[in-house]
Amino acid sequence: MSESTFTVPVGPQHPALKEPENLTFSVDGERVVDVKIRLGYVHRGGEKAFEVRNYNQGLYLVERICGICAMAHQLCYANNIEALHGIMVPRRADYIRTVIAELERIHSHLLWVGVAGHEIGWDTLFMYTWRDREVVLDLMELATGNRVLHATNAIGGVKRDLTPEMISKISKGMKHLEERVRYYAAMIPQEKTIMKRTVGVGILKPQDAVDLCAVGPTLRASGIKRDVRRDDPYSAYDETPFDVITHGGCDVASRVLVRVGELFESIKIVNYASEHLPSGPIRVKVPINVPAGENVSLVEAPRGEDIHYCKSNGTDKPERYKVRAPTLANWASMATMLRGGYVADIPIVLAAIDPCMSCTDRMAFTDVSANKQWYWTIEELRRYSANWHGK
Amino acid sequence: MVEMARENEIVESLRAKLGKDLIEAKLQKPRRVFVTVTSSALPSTVQFLRDSHDMKHVSTITGVDQGTEIGVYFHLMGARQNADSREIVLSLKATTPKTDPRLPSITATIPGAVLYEREVHDMFGVIFEGHPDLSPLIVPDGWPASLYPLRKECTIDFIKGEISKVQGGAK
Repeated sequence: MSESTFTVPVGPQHPALKEPENLTFSVDGERVVDVKIRLGYVHRGGEKAFEVRNYNQGLYLVERICGICAMAHQLCYANNIEALHGIMVPRRADYIRTVIAELERIHSHLLWVGVAGHEIGWDTLFMYTWRDREVVLDLMELATGNRVLHATNAIGGVKRDLTPEMISKISKGMKHLEERVRYYAAMIPQEKTIMKRTVGVGILKPQDAVDLCAVGPTLRASGIKRDVRRDDPYSAYDETPFDVITHGGCDVASRVLVRVGELFESIKIVNYASEHLPSGPIRVKVPINVPAGENVSLVEAPRGEDIHYCKSNGTDKPERYKVRAPTLANWASMATMLRGGYVADIPIVLAAIDPCMSCTDRMAFTDVSANKQWYWTIEELRRYSANWHGK
Repeated sequence: MVEMARENEIVESLRAKLGKDLIEAKLQKPRRVFVTVTSSALPSTVQFLRDSHDMKHVSTITGVDQGTEIGVYFHLMGARQNADSREIVLSLKATTPKTDPRLPSITATIPGAVLYEREVHDMFGVIFEGHPDLSPLIVPDGWPASLYPLRKECTIDFIKGEISKVQGGAK
């Protein structure tokens, strides 16, 4: 690099979201010349943790990889273990899983549109979409019992059935959200505040997107039609009509428009799957020991392709459980998107892949009056929980 | 019997291309194929799958501790027959001895593998020859050298002990 290049470290405090990673930028004036990525600040050793827990415990651990796409990870895990058992879940469970998975996508995309508004300094949009997102979270609570970490899946099906009352409430919610999304879809392309900050920003050319193995809305906003729901269907996606939304702009604006388009498709899928629920049981019983074998399972999480690999050895614990969440797949493209751009655009370009670094591995306690802070290890937390429940 | 013509076609073409470099091929079920090759044949196999079967996407790379060896799976996707057909996941595996784990890097053929190879290097200590930068991606600064957390001999207690030694030294 020339003498005019400076190195600017960014992070581990995230410049866009409330999660840590470290980026070392080489900049020439206001232009980004290169970027080096360093992750792992919230690595919790999850893959090792699977090896010392049985498959049922893993079902809850896997949800905690990510609070936003908990359903996607858990569904991928359940599909994986069910395949190793060689069982098919009841068709009704497949449809219920599809409904919950798409509700999750709606919540995640609405959340993201709000964050994107926030990153470009337009917090009104953030307030609007997060208000709408409450509708989905309430429906999630209605259908699963929880706003986040839904614990919907069991190995062999789902835990809760959808009642006709729930379906009618879901349908009402979808009607409301469809109106709201129609408003966003009409407003965004005309809104200068968004367009001026996103058109032509963070370019990822189609060839680069393919070469760097980008996934999800990031890939589809570069005009590439790939979506696990269509390419490797699971649950009820093989019987559910929907379109894979793409956009040819290859910039942040396209990533916004793809997600808005996907909101319509998700609403369509939720309506279709909840109206076409097959009758029958929602769960089959499976033994805790899983026959020896290996399996690869994929799910289209809100942020893109989520892949899990499991090697079982005949016991109740996996020999190896591998997870690759969609964000990691989009980091390689990130450098390409940032190179040549302005320093001021770094936050929105970063936010545009909808990164999720994961959550924290322990709890911090602060006693403000005593000006003291301390941490609980997982053992202490478990002991506290056992005592509390024992009362 | 389930139709797996496309899967079979891919495996047969690999058999013809690789000869005895192909160690094992398994058609597990529709859209899932597992193939094991010798480590030296790895780059040419990836290139062949990319160019002849449109498998341009590496979803991730998984390391597996197999006792004396480390198995490394490259999960490749693609092989569509037409624009609307489904994709096949081919898990291409090569093994390398644990005492000196080395494999050729595939980043020159599929640049998207760059972070996954770094991750396997962090977790299992596999050196990917030809990789542009194998500096730590996930393990923290000051992580003990040669402590590869996903190897079976590194139990959670062992890892805790090693980390406390490093932390103790830093104080």
